[in-house]
Amino acid sequence: MRQLSFVLLALLMAGTSWAQTFKVPPYQKFKLKNGLTVYLMEQHEVPLINVSAVFEAGAVQDGNRYGLSNMTAEALLFGSSKYTKAQLEEKAEYVGATIDTYAGKEVAKLSASFAVKDQDLLFDILQDVITKPTFDQAEFDKYKQRQLLQLTQQKESPRGVVNSYFNRFVYEGHPYANPITGTPTSVSAISATDARQFYLKNYTTDRAAIAVVGDFDTPAMKKRITELFGSWKTAAATSPKLSEPTIASDKSRVLLVNKDDARETTFLIGGKGITQNNPDFIPVTVVNTILGGRFTSWLNDALRVNSGLTYGAGSRFATFRNSGTFAISTFTKVSTTTQAIDMALMVLDSLHKTGIDEKTLSSAKNYVKADFPPRYESASELANLLTDMFSLGFDESFINNFQKNVDGLTVAKTRQIIDQYFPKNNLQFVLIGKADAIRDKVKKYGAITEKEIKADGF
Amino acid sequence: MNKRTGLLAGLILSTSVVLAQNKPKPEDVQTFTLKNGMKFMVLEDHSIPNANFYTFWRVGSRNEVHGITGLSHFFEHMMFNGAKKYGPKQFDRVMEANGGSNNAYTTENTTVYTDWFQSGALETIFDLESDRIRDLAIDPKMVESERGVVLSERSTGLENSNYRVINELVQSVAFVEHPYMFPVIGFESDIKKWTQADLEKYFKTYYSPNNAVAVVVGDVTAAQVKKLAEQYIEPIPAQKLPDSLRTVEPPQNGERRATTYKDIATPNILLAYHTPATRHPDYYALDLLSGVLSSGNSSRLVKSLVLDSTIASRVFSNMDQSFDPSLFSIYAIAANGISAEQLERSVLHQIDKVISEGITDIELQKLKNQKLMEFYHTMESINGKANSLGTYELYFGDYKKLYEAPSLYEKVTKEDVQRVAKTYLTARNRTVGYLLPEPKTNPSKNN
Repeated sequence: MRQLSFVLLALLMAGTSWAQTFKVPPYQKFKLKNGLTVYLMEQHEVPLINVSAVFEAGAVQDGNRYGLSNMTAEALLFGSSKYTKAQLEEKAEYVGATIDTYAGKEVAKLSASFAVKDQDLLFDILQDVITKPTFDQAEFDKYKQRQLLQLTQQKESPRGVVNSYFNRFVYEGHPYANPITGTPTSVSAISATDARQFYLKNYTTDRAAIAVVGDFDTPAMKKRITELFGSWKTAAATSPKLSEPTIASDKSRVLLVNKDDARETTFLIGGKGITQNNPDFIPVTVVNTILGGRFTSWLNDALRVNSGLTYGAGSRFATFRNSGTFAISTFTKVSTTTQAIDMALMVLDSLHKTGIDEKTLSSAKNYVKADFPPRYESASELANLLTDMFSLGFDESFINNFQKNVDGLTVAKTRQIIDQYFPKNNLQFVLIGKADAIRDKVKKYGAITEKEIKADGF
Repeated sequence: MNKRTGLLAGLILSTSVVLAQNKPKPEDVQTFTLKNGMKFMVLEDHSIPNANFYTFWRVGSRNEVHGITGLSHFFEHMMFNGAKKYGPKQFDRVMEANGGSNNAYTTENTTVYTDWFQSGALETIFDLESDRIRDLAIDPKMVESERGVVLSERSTGLENSNYRVINELVQSVAFVEHPYMFPVIGFESDIKKWTQADLEKYFKTYYSPNNAVAVVVGDVTAAQVKKLAEQYIEPIPAQKLPDSLRTVEPPQNGERRATTYKDIATPNILLAYHTPATRHPDYYALDLLSGVLSSGNSSRLVKSLVLDSTIASRVFSNMDQSFDPSLFSIYAIAANGISAEQLERSVLHQIDKVISEGITDIELQKLKNQKLMEFYHTMESINGKANSLGTYELYFGDYKKLYEAPSLYEKVTKEDVQRVAKTYLTARNRTVGYLLPEPKTNPSKNN
């Protein structure tokens, strides 16, 4: 492979293009009497139906039972009033349908995809698993054993866990620090009953939405969804709004995670970022594209193309509702650790010192605009977009005006964006590698905290 | 005609268009071959204002020998490092400035270049592609920095993926003669040593337009693509194609085993069986066999080893697509407290059951239904279409086979699946790899 995919807008959101304007296809939105929001969008390219449902049930609701939201989302598919877990799987897989659930930091989602001809069966299953899951004890316990092993094994890939260490490091003490999949200690203590209670408390119709996109007729689908979910009664949502976290930025700090057999050092360098509804979201995205969001970005150019220090280097803004982080991310062989870090810092510094010129800005705008429509091409992507609009609180104007807003960015404004949103001092470093080989060299970056990668959690 | 009836007619018309679109068909693809032998496939899709340009080259690690392993993949990198009109860095800079992005991948059989762009950039893409196909400049300075990049790519793969480690080991043992024994990324010592002359020779040998197939899908017209292809690509002269690969892997006549170690939690195992090339008629039955074993939670291996018992934490099987006879493989990660031997026995027990008892009607129909859904999902995006059209053209000999795939799977019987299991999944034809946790230090024991 030539490059890892660049996580440009992996930020969650969206935009449009400019050869022609890309717009969200027409859809209908309404609310059922129980408060459940419904989106319906017809797409007839292939004879499929896609469903996306979203609930206010992500890891920030875990309290100190890390992993509870994730285990609850998984357990929705462990059996329901009419179907055992095995029956659900046999019936759905028999017709080539897929049903998946997951919990993220803030919300949990269910998504499904199936053929039009199988919709009676699949809608019956979806209604049952969403409104009447049984949280089967035996299935839950088996899953827990598998999950515990996964938690150990995920540490075998530094790239797979470096973000969890970083979140923990900068959000210490706030729910945004909660590791989504939990830790061996926390997961061991979670039972099927805990999952059921989490479900009753957080899977509530007043803060949920379901989107259906595909090859159907809207009036008939409206009738069907109303029949399936109209009489679903849940408790009212009670979770309070999250407080705004403080991201440690009073001094530079280094978290050094020791992996004895590391052949390379995997690292993130960053600090405070932006919330996802920040009015400057698009300008920040464009500027970050130049710094570390595409192949010709300054970070990749310096660390990969010019010096061969790494296979890939980039930067990203990870956004939540009430906060967000910025981070530079890359990896390099053990012996070039500080050379790569120093170079990354130099690139960030040059963004602040020299800023961006007109030609570079124009290139980045074109790149960002063209990169956008393919994110909303398939019916399942559109279904996911609709539930994102619900949970993140934006509407199609964000998409439909994306091109215009990208075009509106000026060189003068990029200066202000860099000063305001791109961290400069007191950076936070997370390094996974061979501690004995790099400890003395990296202490120049800040006060070091050390962890063993095999230790519990992050 | 008044406004209202006009509207109604419009509605009816669009409904019938919708119905027609509902069935993807081979006639939607338009093809032409340039005088230099490069074949183009074009599929119009105007659902988003974007398009892509995929170039499939018939060169991969199977074309390598000791000393130049990894060169196909390295070339994949060098194709971005400067040509005559667009010098070093210019390919990416010009493409991105025009609303395009790219990537590429290399396999044992092919090297594939992928450009994605806003459809207004089509001519720029042709200009960039034709420049590097015609006049690649292999700048020695770029070769040196790219060598570091590829060493880092190799290293990060081994650092982050246990599968990568065990798969390289099993490939190297399952093949004793055919170059499928080489890892696509190459041996570390070769990566450090290949020369400028190796690169120049490789480009001349394999990057001839008659050794490639291009696919363009998206918001373009076939006429537009043809005109630009004739203008930019057709003048590039064809060269004599390299001789076809001579080496044929002899039948395996006895189980082979190999073991390696890493600081991991539980054993990983990989079982690999020699199977025919993709164009062999048994491909479809073997692919369904793979599905019976590991597609979804109701599949045999996942259900019996991961869900109903605590033997494995993960298991999957894979039927390679390949030009030459290759491997059917099964990868599994042991659950806590399970040895590699126990895990292997459990996998083999499930294979033996398929061989002795066959599969059920329900399993067979399930897999066929899944294949049809897979086809629809492929046809939902311009990238799915482009990649699949090229893949079918190269591996199955005809892009039309993509559209026939659901019906070709439909023809497979239970007896076929049992027969291919019995024919190919035999002990003699098997290579078993173990990736084990580092043994606890014990000086008295010789590990």
